[in-house]
Amino acid sequence: MRISLNIVAGVALLLVATTALAEEKRWVSSEGTTLKSEASATSENVVDLIIGTEVTVVESGGRWLKVITSSGKEGWVYAGRVSEAPPVGEVSGSEAGLFGESMQKSQINTAKADSARSIRGLSPETTEYAKSRGTTELVKKSLDVVLLRKVSPKELKVFLQDGKIGEYAQVQGGKK
Amino acid sequence: MRYLLITVLIVTTLVADTASGNFMDALQNLSKPDSKESKLLSGATQILSSSREIDYKTERTIGESLALEGIQRFGIPVNNESLQKYVNMVGNGVASNSKRAKIPYQFAVLDSNVQNAFAVPGGIIFVSRALVSILSDEAELAAVLAHEVGHIAAKHALKSTQRAQFFEGVGTITAASVRGDKGKKFASAIGDMQAVLFDKGLDKEMEFEADLAAMETAYRTGYDPSALIRVLEKLQKLEASSRDKKGSWFSTHPPLTERIARMRLELKKYPDYAAMAGVQERFIKYAKIK
Repeated sequence: MRISLNIVAGVALLLVATTALAEEKRWVSSEGTTLKSEASATSENVVDLIIGTEVTVVESGGRWLKVITSSGKEGWVYAGRVSEAPPVGEVSGSEAGLFGESMQKSQINTAKADSARSIRGLSPETTEYAKSRGTTELVKKSLDVVLLRKVSPKELKVFLQDGKIGEYAQVQGGKK
Repeated sequence: MRYLLITVLIVTTLVADTASGNFMDALQNLSKPDSKESKLLSGATQILSSSREIDYKTERTIGESLALEGIQRFGIPVNNESLQKYVNMVGNGVASNSKRAKIPYQFAVLDSNVQNAFAVPGGIIFVSRALVSILSDEAELAAVLAHEVGHIAAKHALKSTQRAQFFEGVGTITAASVRGDKGKKFASAIGDMQAVLFDKGLDKEMEFEADLAAMETAYRTGYDPSALIRVLEKLQKLEASSRDKKGSWFSTHPPLTERIARMRLELKKYPDYAAMAGVQERFIKYAKIK
């Protein structure tokens, strides 16, 4: 009886140790992630974290994780904003293939694409395509309006806050 | 006795951890290398060839061209700025938690009476007025939009046609590339992709992959992931009574029975799904269009 109890206790301890090891590292995987001073969206901001940032889990509390960054910043992050594996990058055509591209590089490339796009709607290439296809002005103008519509990170934060969604949910139980 | 107490303590701690950490457990399971999602993803890598050389600018040109064709076919955007802005908020909310969060996304409700939603390469997503009209809350809208974001993130449209290989190796598409003989080839490739997106539908496994991504993305954002199942069930009811299926989700997507069954199994990964946001009031305020 005593031996079997020892085995059970040993296995349980091993499980705990394995879980702790497995939970050590996380990677920021969502846009607009902020490290907070407490496990609450209304607490103070410690630092903004970009996608791909590696953090180490110090403590877990419900849907929030207490983490520390490589530069030593400590705080809480909403668990939905991090993942167990580094986020994948963009397809680049490199030998490394789809998942070999570094997220940082991908971020720079897409950020360039985004800023280039942010000054206009329909691109010259698409305008040329529309011309060759005889696309009506109404259709072109309609797409132009769609492309010019932007959502700022601040607007999105207020929207999620108003809906009490994710990290802004006030009560963990009780569906809104 | 002392060992028994220690064992009970450890087991109790583990049980308590599991109970309080359902959300954490669910998130962890999503990124395990031997998980279904991981295998699906690696399968997708295997079939990926035609889209490898396409840069973002070219992908966006292809997407915008297809978007023009989509508007031409399904109708112009509904003239309701607060609805369009609302859909962009929900869409960007889920997109920021998707596997491809860094590209710009735009969403629009098209004035079409066919229940459909489609995504073109590069980040433009359309949902029809008819599809929005059968939804009941924001979580259901988020599920539909997250499904489409899933297609864009995995570059499904680009992988779905041999003609897309035309874009391979051409480098960045310029205005000159869409004129003259080159322009004819470009238009032909766009035509092929249109046929896939608007008529034939994407590969069945791509649809399941987008469903899985939709549930994960919605859950990460904080929406109830079971909303996707509710939308599929509504479509299933409509399918039974629908006469004209052309160009709808019924004709371009795999059998709904199979999708619903698969997603019900998937929902087990999210034991606390019922505690996630539904947000009905705001949805009714902005999206209940006549």
